[in-house]
Amino acid sequence: MNWPVTIAMRAGRTLLLILCAAAGTTLLVRFAPGFFSDSREMDAKYAPAAQDEMDAEHSQHQTVSQIAIEEARNFLAGGFGMSRQYRVPVAELIGARIPLSALLLARGIIGGWLLAICAALPVSSLRKGGVLCSLPFTVLLAIPTAAMATACILSELGGPVLVLALLVAARDFKFLRSLLEGAWRSPHLLQGRALGLSPRVLVKLHILPNVLPQLCALTTLSIVTALGALVPIEVIFTVPGVGQLAWAAVMNRDLPVLVAVSLLMACVVGFAGMLSMRAPILEAA
Amino acid sequence: MKRRIALIALLLLVVGAVLVLRWSPGGYAAQDRDSTMAPFSAQHWTGTDELGRDRTVRVSAALLIGLAGATAAAALTTAIAGCFGLAAAFSPSWVAALLIFLSDVFLSLPWLFLLMMARSLLPLTASPLDTAVATFVVLAALGWPACARVIYRGALALRSAEWMIQGHACGLRTRQLVRLHLLPHLRSLLLPQFLICVPAFIVAEANLGALGLGVGEPLPSWGSMLLELDNSALLARSHWVYLPIALLIIVLLTLESFATEVETHA
Amino acid sequence: MRSLFRSSILCAGLLALTSSFASGQAAPRQPGEIAWAIHYDPKTFDPAKVDEQASELVRYLTGGVLLRLNRQTQQPEPQLAQSFRISPEGTLIVFKLRAGLRFSDGAQLTSADAAWSLRRVLNPATHAVVAEEFLSPEAVVIDTPDALTVRVHLPKRIIGVEKIFDEIAIEPANRPSEGRVTSGPFAVADYKRGQFVRLIRNRNYWRRDAAGVQLPYATGVRLDILNNREQEISLFLRGEYDLIDTLPAEYFGVVAQKSSSAVHDLGASLNTEQMWFNQSPAAPLPEFEKSWFRNRSFRVAVSQSIHRADLARIAYNGHATPAFGVISPANAQWHNNGLKVPPESIADANKILAAAGFHRGGNQLYDAAGHPVKFSILTNAGNPARQKMAAMIQQDLAQIGMQVTIVALDFPALIERLMHKQDYDVCLLGVSNAEPDPSSMMNMWLSSSANHQWNPSQKTPATEWEAEIDRLMQLQASSPLPRVRKQAVDRVQQIVADQQPFVYLVYPNVLQAVSPQLRGVQSSILSPGPVWNIDSLRREQDRPLRGSL
Repeated sequence: MNWPVTIAMRAGRTLLLILCAAAGTTLLVRFAPGFFSDSREMDAKYAPAAQDEMDAEHSQHQTVSQIAIEEARNFLAGGFGMSRQYRVPVAELIGARIPLSALLLARGIIGGWLLAICAALPVSSLRKGGVLCSLPFTVLLAIPTAAMATACILSELGGPVLVLALLVAARDFKFLRSLLEGAWRSPHLLQGRALGLSPRVLVKLHILPNVLPQLCALTTLSIVTALGALVPIEVIFTVPGVGQLAWAAVMNRDLPVLVAVSLLMACVVGFAGMLSMRAPILEAA
Repeated sequence: MKRRIALIALLLLVVGAVLVLRWSPGGYAAQDRDSTMAPFSAQHWTGTDELGRDRTVRVSAALLIGLAGATAAAALTTAIAGCFGLAAAFSPSWVAALLIFLSDVFLSLPWLFLLMMARSLLPLTASPLDTAVATFVVLAALGWPACARVIYRGALALRSAEWMIQGHACGLRTRQLVRLHLLPHLRSLLLPQFLICVPAFIVAEANLGALGLGVGEPLPSWGSMLLELDNSALLARSHWVYLPIALLIIVLLTLESFATEVETHA
Repeated sequence: MRSLFRSSILCAGLLALTSSFASGQAAPRQPGEIAWAIHYDPKTFDPAKVDEQASELVRYLTGGVLLRLNRQTQQPEPQLAQSFRISPEGTLIVFKLRAGLRFSDGAQLTSADAAWSLRRVLNPATHAVVAEEFLSPEAVVIDTPDALTVRVHLPKRIIGVEKIFDEIAIEPANRPSEGRVTSGPFAVADYKRGQFVRLIRNRNYWRRDAAGVQLPYATGVRLDILNNREQEISLFLRGEYDLIDTLPAEYFGVVAQKSSSAVHDLGASLNTEQMWFNQSPAAPLPEFEKSWFRNRSFRVAVSQSIHRADLARIAYNGHATPAFGVISPANAQWHNNGLKVPPESIADANKILAAAGFHRGGNQLYDAAGHPVKFSILTNAGNPARQKMAAMIQQDLAQIGMQVTIVALDFPALIERLMHKQDYDVCLLGVSNAEPDPSSMMNMWLSSSANHQWNPSQKTPATEWEAEIDRLMQLQASSPLPRVRKQAVDRVQQIVADQQPFVYLVYPNVLQAVSPQLRGVQSSILSPGPVWNIDSLRREQDRPLRGSL
């Protein structure tokens, strides 16, 4: 297949993914309980004002088609509309937060991978005591994100990057160790060992090329894991990033923000998917 | 050998929990309001919680509920991911592309709202056990896509492996191929997924308590006990609040060593 | 193999380097500023458009007002106005402004600015929440006979009209600035959404202390937007924050242990925690269930079987006061001291239920038609004290054979059930009362109101006693005689205690943490708590500088 067609297909796929994500998010949020409600309604003082606002919202967004038309109009105008909770354009709101979250994600994922690989390579080559050596990672798996983050805050050690890296590491370690163990036991490696090749040569020439395609697929998994952990971590550490915004949007049923966030998610997931698809090309090369 | 030790440890935990529940005089809901957050005593071996309920009994009940719910849900979600990955790997390329596309869409949607809808469909008077079951089922139904792609990649590599081709040539049927060759090889991917899902689901169950799902009062929830660890006020009052996480680590270790042993024996 | 381990260690070191950036608020610290945390972003800085509590706080700290309600004496005190006078029939208010007033940008403040600000609030296009308190805002007329006099003509007397002016900030005429140009102690300087609001001192603030020193003492105020209790408390204990204005009961002990002089339990607040039964005819509940909830005996029996002292002691670690009525004893002026309430007694509750046709079968209570008495208690997620109370009430009600399930929902979903669908059995929530005057509770008590929780928006009162409450509340809102008002409010309290539409549980105590470094604090249980006299607060020492954030 020649490359213009490939690029066109990739772009088409991403576009379709974005459309599906937008449509799905709109449906989910619109029909979730509490779409037409405002926490100020319970406050006797501010209830009438909140009620007026809700009525206006209700008349504008009665049906899904109304919402869809407005969203389409916003996209064509190059934005995502106005945030319901902050009353400012969503693009402005999210734009300022993306770099912060992206940096946190990148640092967390790279840190997590380094940690997981550093631990998994030696542990997977052990013949005994594997379970014991992986104990720290099992402990990390068991600790809830919130507890880990709070411990960091209370002890004044480490921040969001550390927690994210540990979470990613704990999850990736299990997969990596499994993959690498399989690789160490493969026949050509046994032969390599028997020939007395140094571990570094073994890792470089035999193990890494062998597990590379699956490592690439694993990146998808760690990106998704990190995205999931981003929300609690940003909320607890009060990092003014996309995750924190997304959580506030969920609690306020802020549809325009949520649609924008799920579009971002779709882009990241699509990108991660492409990463894992690059692998065969590398292999062929 | 190790496998047997792990199995025995797990059994001991479960049997111990059942016995504690059988013998406890008050049950997991009885509130002794005059001794809240009590330390160790002959009556309460691991003290009491904030409402004066015996911690040993509550942790035992939570262990049974959580273990049953989370392992079942984790097994289910791993099975779905496995089927999905295999189906994608062994079907024509356009079906595979469609399936992978579906999993990508699935990953980018805010499913939290689906959970809220699920809660609003359940009656408010649904018993705590019913909501717990519903929660674990929903978790299992939503947990698979992250891992599906990894399994798809793994299965794809296997499809073109020489021994598969040989298997085909020998006239093995697809079902036999899957059972004899594919599953043992995919286990290295399925197993970590399962092990990761167990604690993730236990905590997720408690987090969903905020949406009215999860294990409701007065049933004890393992996840809620774990979430108490982010409350410094509580940590300062008793060290027994670390008991649930210690148990979770033990359970994970036994599950892990049991499962890895199975793998090496296979 | 050794080289493998060596490279692993190298990688781990690299990781440590990449991840060595800790969290922390990015707001720049200024010497002499007072800092604390608010839990969410203010929605607006326009003082006329304030419609939630974070914006209200910013308006309080920045807006200059004609009168301020002293949060200790609860009496109005002149501020920008040097004096004010209300005519005997209550329809004319005359304010005399101080001479030489200036805005924070140096421009003169005259009666024209005051009149413009008042008219802006009264204008329906502004959608100001405060305007509602004038009852018929379109009929209010403002005029300015001279540069220092403002006259407000009301169509008819409004009880407690002075306190409305506490909420109207005077802005420069025709130059609304979203709090950047103010006549109050501070002005908005900087705002980063989701991070902080910074206010700076107004150099032209009118007030001086007894020694003639220009107020406010503080050079500024930093409000960090922080919705994490653990972090807030740890920053307070480290001296980064000067106060915590509502400390959760469970953390009181932790803070007291580390800094006992900093925490204060000021006793019962004006707020109430209560549960109520859904009596709305529109509720999608089976008829028999609605008939339980409309049955006075049923409600009284439930109220009698709840151990309120246990709730206060366990759910609030002792930092709450058992509640039996609408008005908290902290509100000494309006609390009914002779209130007769059904006593807490399981035996009495059983007797009343039996008399009302309910019967026991084993541990389960059945109604006359044989339906088992089962219902759910709905509450909001994220309030540990409420969830503990719900679990305790579940046990208490099990003693009289009622089977209760507890459901915690997030706020939007909860409100949809409460306010729009009436799809719930029993709800456990709190009501916060910002003002001691019962007129502020009108919205809750009038049967026609949407906030009349147990049966909202009634066309005509569903019961005799609700009709009587309607009459009494209208009477207290219109009578100029304090004695008549007090009698009416006492009677309302007694009706509520007899009928138990709201089963009151506790009055949470006012818990505050104030740094010993902060001088000039006059505690108050009224909002905004310890900072109500913000212009006279001063930090003793500069904050310890922290090397890395």
